Amino acid sequence: MKKVAVLIISIILFASGLYYGYEDSKRLNESRCLGCIALLPKAASFSTFWVEYPPFFHKKGIPAHPEAVLNESREHVVMLFFWDTGCDPCKEQWEEMKAKGIVDGSESDGRMTGNFSNITLFSIDIFNEKDGLRWLNVYTPAENPSSTPTTVILFTKNNTTYWYAFSGKADGKAGRPDLNKLEEILNEAMVMKDDM
Amino acid sequence: MICSGNCASCPVPLLFLAGGKRAKSRIKKEYTKPIQKKRLASQFIFLFITNAAFIFGVTGLIYPYFYCWEAPQATMSCPIGIMEHAVLETSIALALILTGTIFIVSSIFGRAACGWACPIGFLQDLIGKDKKKNKKGMSERDRKARYIKYAILAAIPPVVYITGTMAYTNICPIGGLTATIPILLLSPGGYTPTAFFIPKITLVALTIFLIVFVRRGWCKYLCPVGAMMGPFNKVSLLQIKFDESKCLKCYNCAIACPMDINMPYDNKSAECIRCGLCIDACPTDALKFGFTWQ
Ligand code: SF4
Ligand code: SF4
Ligand code: SF4
Repeated sequence: MKKVAVLIISIILFASGLYYGYEDSKRLNESRCLGCIALLPKAASFSTFWVEYPPFFHKKGIPAHPEAVLNESREHVVMLFFWDTGCDPCKEQWEEMKAKGIVDGSESDGRMTGNFSNITLFSIDIFNEKDGLRWLNVYTPAENPSSTPTTVILFTKNNTTYWYAFSGKADGKAGRPDLNKLEEILNEAMVMKDDM
Repeated sequence: MICSGNCASCPVPLLFLAGGKRAKSRIKKEYTKPIQKKRLASQFIFLFITNAAFIFGVTGLIYPYFYCWEAPQATMSCPIGIMEHAVLETSIALALILTGTIFIVSSIFGRAACGWACPIGFLQDLIGKDKKKNKKGMSERDRKARYIKYAILAAIPPVVYITGTMAYTNICPIGGLTATIPILLLSPGGYTPTAFFIPKITLVALTIFLIVFVRRGWCKYLCPVGAMMGPFNKVSLLQIKFDESKCLKCYNCAIACPMDINMPYDNKSAECIRCGLCIDACPTDALKFGFTWQ
């Protein structure tokens, strides 16, 4: 009897688990949290803004920027910040950006601040936001797993969208920009958007 | 992800490199009896399924054993990683699929996934030292030490909740062994270490030390996934049946048991990985695998 009960409970748990949890588990499995295995990807150097994919992305053509991002980028410079709950490098980068006066608030409810308040922030929780992972994949080089944190800056001028991206924390190591460089890029984007 | 063709990143050759001579002689010596031959085939098949994203893709299923989902070709999610995310996201859905997976596999097979499927268990079977001949099962001290893994399992959710981080994953040596190291080998210049790199690699080294010198040392004392499945041995359908009337009291079974279980009496022990070595060692068929509702 005991065994029958355990087995029935197991079947119910497993069936409902598959039904409710499969997609979530899959999404987590697809987005590789490299911070969790104590590694950060080296960012190939984006020295400036690109329109198409740069060669080191091993993807061709113009990225399929998400519609919502594209629309916003016509009005304002946009910064995308992809993060995941429990991702330490994400949290660290957020706190450091906050200390430097780039952003304000929390990862889940944040905005740009100070000199950058004109920029629109999309802070994207890749687990809880439906399209988060799909968006992140747009900005991930073909041979890398998509990973958090990833930061993207883009703007649209005369129907051309210019973008800049890096995966891993903004710590100035291994080709990744540091926060000063990030500020520079944000400033450059604002100037380019107004001037061109 | 597609198979990179870079075999250095694949845990299969790594396993044998790690094992070297000992792995070879272990296969020749220990995997000779009928059940053990099947078990060897099963361990190889699961090693392959575990690392076959180039065929099956990345799924939302969960490994009913310990393996890192960040491994280059991982097909399923890590049970401990899912547990941590379930806490961080307060997700009932994730808790359901995790408990469902562990319950369904363990309520049927007990802890057999440890003996027949888990690549980390397989690695230990191959490279662990021969165990001491011991008729009496584990000592009292050893028996108590086995509770460490339950303590680790119980500590993960509160620590994750309080710290708000993937506290176990950050330092998990199994992730280090099956993901961090292969990924670095695959693309040596492609990554930089984070602050957790040194602690993680140190733990990998300690774990390798442990599993070389203590047969199934990781499974006995530290594995939180084994801790999830162990208690099901008491109620699982698959059991090791003991027929006392046939027993000669030779204790060949106890001598053979890699988990040092007090066989043939403690045949429902939570430590049993259903490897069947005791059954193969028994001269009289007093021990048998069998499915039972009793
Ligand atoms: S106890 Fe051993 S065999 Fe079982 S899941 Fe853990 S590592 Fe694998
Ligand atoms: S009791 Fe038998 S089946 Fe269980 S671990 Fe020991 S040898 Fe393997
Ligand atoms: S090996 Fe068989 S006969 Fe010998 S003690 Fe164990 S159960 Fe009894």
